[in-house]
Amino acid sequence: MAIVEVRDLCKTFNPELPEPIRVLVDLNLDVEEGEFVALMGPSGSGKTTLLNLVAGLDSPTSGRIRIGDQVISDMSESQLARWRTRNVGFVFQFYNLLPVLTAYENVELPLLLLPMSKDERRKQVNNAMEIVGLADRMDHRPGMLSGGQCQRVGIARAIVTDPTIVVCDEPTGALDSKSADNALNLLNLLRSELGKTIIMVTHDPTAANRAQRIIHLEKGRVMDADEIQLQPAVA
Amino acid sequence: MTPDASQMAGFSGGGPDFSLMQMALYGFLFMIGVLMLLTMLATLSLPVFFGALAAMNLGLKGTNNLPDPLGKWSKLAGLVFRSLRRNLLRTALTYIALFVLTGMLSFIYMIVSFLGNFTAEKEGQQLVILTEKFSIPSQMPPGYARQLKDIIRDKLPKQYQPADIDNSFMTWSFVGATTDPTKFSPENNFFLFALDPDAISSGMMAEQGLSKEDLGEDDWDKLLGLVELVRQDKRHIIIGEDKLKIMNKQVGDEIKFTSTNYRELEFECKIVGAFPSGSRLGGGAAMRYDYLQSKLDAYLVQKGQPHPNADRCLNLVWVRMPSKEAFERLAAIVNQAESFSAPAAKMETFSAAVGSFLEPYKDIFWGMKYIIMPAIVCIMCLVIGITITIGVRERRAEMAVLKVLGFQPRQVQAMVVSESVLIGVYGGMLATWCVYFLPMFITKFTKTVGVKFAFFDNFKPSEWILLYGPLLGIAVGLIGSFMPSRSASKVKVSEVFAQVA
Repeated sequence: MAIVEVRDLCKTFNPELPEPIRVLVDLNLDVEEGEFVALMGPSGSGKTTLLNLVAGLDSPTSGRIRIGDQVISDMSESQLARWRTRNVGFVFQFYNLLPVLTAYENVELPLLLLPMSKDERRKQVNNAMEIVGLADRMDHRPGMLSGGQCQRVGIARAIVTDPTIVVCDEPTGALDSKSADNALNLLNLLRSELGKTIIMVTHDPTAANRAQRIIHLEKGRVMDADEIQLQPAVA
Repeated sequence: MTPDASQMAGFSGGGPDFSLMQMALYGFLFMIGVLMLLTMLATLSLPVFFGALAAMNLGLKGTNNLPDPLGKWSKLAGLVFRSLRRNLLRTALTYIALFVLTGMLSFIYMIVSFLGNFTAEKEGQQLVILTEKFSIPSQMPPGYARQLKDIIRDKLPKQYQPADIDNSFMTWSFVGATTDPTKFSPENNFFLFALDPDAISSGMMAEQGLSKEDLGEDDWDKLLGLVELVRQDKRHIIIGEDKLKIMNKQVGDEIKFTSTNYRELEFECKIVGAFPSGSRLGGGAAMRYDYLQSKLDAYLVQKGQPHPNADRCLNLVWVRMPSKEAFERLAAIVNQAESFSAPAAKMETFSAAVGSFLEPYKDIFWGMKYIIMPAIVCIMCLVIGITITIGVRERRAEMAVLKVLGFQPRQVQAMVVSESVLIGVYGGMLATWCVYFLPMFITKFTKTVGVKFAFFDNFKPSEWILLYGPLLGIAVGLIGSFMPSRSASKVKVSEVFAQVA
């Protein structure tokens, strides 16, 4: 059974206007557990909107989204907030770390919302920081880290709660090629070693090629003909 | 602003005679001075403010390792402190603005509540005044004092009489004076209370600042010594230190003056002492009533007819009654007695008299209470609201991240409100504490160095402002952050990141 199941998904902005903006139109999508999927498409094709809907950051106009065994399309805002803490890790283009917190504290932040003991939190954070290779930068603030390191902290924050899916919005968009390569290697490692399901939005074909499957979106629809099966990438 | 001030009006001898324009000017200058003082205090107290924030943050850090949920909550609360430290200049300016506004509010509150207390009818012992009913300044026949005393002794039941009528009774006659009738100037003119010297030693002048509590034990003992000197010779007078300086006179000088309100009366006196500088009588003077009376008698002998003011030389009579009921009984008798009808006299409490004096200014006080004070609170809310709004706008992406991580809208809202309340509480608390403790500190300091300021010597702020300050800060913080915190909690993650991308 697919871990992400999207059925007849529609998202319309400004539905009250005479000409509403229909961003997603009857979209269907399945993502298997442990799969690394890249969403591509021109600007305005709806890929970020789809990502936000799958991550529970927005609610669909109609249609159904199931993640794991939970249907999130029917959830209220506060239910979604609770659900996100446990089930979604989000990697941003511009890292979006809190500048007043250290790397350790940034990664620990989502755990503060979970019923966890202090020791469990410390263990989880240390583990995540070791996975991203920044165990020696725990006490550094974002301003003291490079862009690549910041993105790795962002990835550590995304996986620290051991989420069902990791969603990435242009994770390499603000990085140089070497740092981008490292970040993609890390995402692949998460998939291959930890079995994480990853959905990544990108404009960069090189980054997309590191995914197992590329889904092309255009005008709010999945372009079936362009769906390309790739060999699993090597971390 | 005592009833005596109103009764003094009209004597060119030197009683205060403020026009409304002058009052407005002095009020304006006073406000500017207070604003500058508060701004300086606020700036000086910045280290205390940031020190307190740092100390709280350190305390929170210390609790980070406590068992959950305490440790977890303290970490989340730590975010609030770090957010305040993010833009130190903005936080400092907001604090200063709140400090100054709270300080202004406290000053106005103290003035209004001081006057409110002054004019509020009291239970228990009552200081009551007999004055002419329809004329200012009050000018009554001297026989009214004796008649009043007789009524108290003969017509009031024992339980309504003061325990010692002689020590609870005082008459005032106002004597305007000039040392040079051809030239009216502050150096030549002064104003005297003609009274029985025992009125000072019996404590009847306590409301004028002549009491052991107001002067301190040493100065009070000195004053009693001066009263004794005045008792020895009716020509002995006491003049305030401040007035002596203006007149370029000193204790021991002989002084000859002409009365400005008792025409043709001349007095030769000796200055035997001075009221303390800065006290309420620092600019005035006191003489024996019987000296005035003897001059009026001499006038009769000399001129063959009484002085035109001889039958109007009693301005006020003060009595300290044991209770409100006793006053009401006495007032009822006085108001009905024919002997007090030509001219008509009225009996009222000191607080009612103050209220009557303040009557022309009641609109100003009303405006202070119901327009300026709420306006200041609104400005405080706006100041804090604008600051927090700017902070929230700058951190919209962060708020969105918090929501992505699973923070509930109300948790985001609580964080923003906490920032606002923290600044509000510290601004309110430190401002009111400064306003409360500063006069005490200045009094202590000036007493140590031997200088006296009337304002600070007599200024006793209400203890309630110590509580009102922080509470006001909390209220202002809550109100001011209402809109921005709601906006923060309603941040649409998808919109924020769509704009960022």
